[in-house]
Amino acid sequence: MASQRDVKNRISSVKNIQKITRAMEMVAAARLRRAEQRIARLRPYADAIRRMTFQAAAAAGAEASAFPLLREHEEVKHVGLLLVTGDRGLAGAFNSQIIRAGVRAGAELSEQGMAPSWYATGRRGVSSLTFRGRELSGSYTGFSDRPGYADARTIADDLMSGYVDGKLDRVEVIYNQYVSPLTQHVTREVLLPLSEPVLSGEDSAEQDSGQRALVEYEPDPQEILKRLVPDYVEISIYRALIESTAGFFGAQMTAMRNASENAGTLIEQYTLQMNRARQAEITQEIMEVVAGAEGLG
Amino acid sequence: MARTTFPVEVLTPEGQVFSEEIEMLSTRTAVGSIGVLAHHEPVLAMLEPSELRLYRSESDVVRFAQAEGYLQFSENRALVLVEEAIAPQALDRGAYQTRLAEARASAERAAEDSEEKARALRDIKRYEAFLAVEP
Repeated sequence: MASQRDVKNRISSVKNIQKITRAMEMVAAARLRRAEQRIARLRPYADAIRRMTFQAAAAAGAEASAFPLLREHEEVKHVGLLLVTGDRGLAGAFNSQIIRAGVRAGAELSEQGMAPSWYATGRRGVSSLTFRGRELSGSYTGFSDRPGYADARTIADDLMSGYVDGKLDRVEVIYNQYVSPLTQHVTREVLLPLSEPVLSGEDSAEQDSGQRALVEYEPDPQEILKRLVPDYVEISIYRALIESTAGFFGAQMTAMRNASENAGTLIEQYTLQMNRARQAEITQEIMEVVAGAEGLG
Repeated sequence: MARTTFPVEVLTPEGQVFSEEIEMLSTRTAVGSIGVLAHHEPVLAMLEPSELRLYRSESDVVRFAQAEGYLQFSENRALVLVEEAIAPQALDRGAYQTRLAEARASAERAAEDSEEKARALRDIKRYEAFLAVEP
């Protein structure tokens, strides 16, 4: 049985850990609030850009395919997978669920005869993929706490030029969508080409019912798309980064709260154990004294 | 005489900056100036950096220095999506002068037809438009 002093040491180290996890929980909570605000502000804009892109693409119709970013490649061979993770861990399953989803997606693509090209943001994603022997076509790190628009632009530029140059035939992004501090949704989205129902106009039933022809475009849809599609890709990646940041702090806060609670339970158990050890020692001593007294008697 | 009003919403990546009923909206598209009154026909326009004016009434005008973006008008609602919308009094002119100078310098440096050049030229246009907005 562990001696009193062993247990005492263990209690104090658990207490220290608890202090750290508590502090991390508070920091994550404060940052979560800020990240939550950012994502709440960005969502309406991103959604509107998305709707607008689809509307303009539907209006441009067949002519849209003259524009390299909108042209669907005849054979889909190379698929760019962008995994959005955090720079740091200690956030429960936050990073590993993205990596797992990414690796699964990669395996599915390979089964279908397509080759995945890996792109990752966040140190966790980059190092896990490298460790698993995946060669990264692009890695972006150092901003997962507070991603800027310029970061999204860099990533978008790489992916778009890959698509235009024919190195990629499809671009997908996998990220944690922020739902609440307790839940993040692993989301997989196709960024390029614009998804089919959109281009064929299924998405815009009300436009097909006569509205479409009436909308005036300034300049014409093709010209608008030249700027709108890159904006759409950038804003979608920016949104994925911000969703992921909010999700990260939520996950970290929850993970750290669990760790603190766990530490509390451990401390209780160890305290019990220590009391028992002390009691046993006292009992032992009394028995020795009694035995000694009897021996003398 | 007061004109009919219509709702307008101005959104940027940093959030909503304006959402009210107004009489008229005016800004600049890639092909020229545009003014929108209630019951305008549906339009989707690409906006250039300029001054966005929102007329609550003839005399009460809300103005913004506005970056590139898009204007959508349908079902008698206007939606303005811009990368930046700054109230004229909040515009830090000194900072934009410096940025304009930097953008001009990098436009000089950058190679012809490069992405960097295009971006610098775009920035120059934006900062010039911002500085042209009267305080």
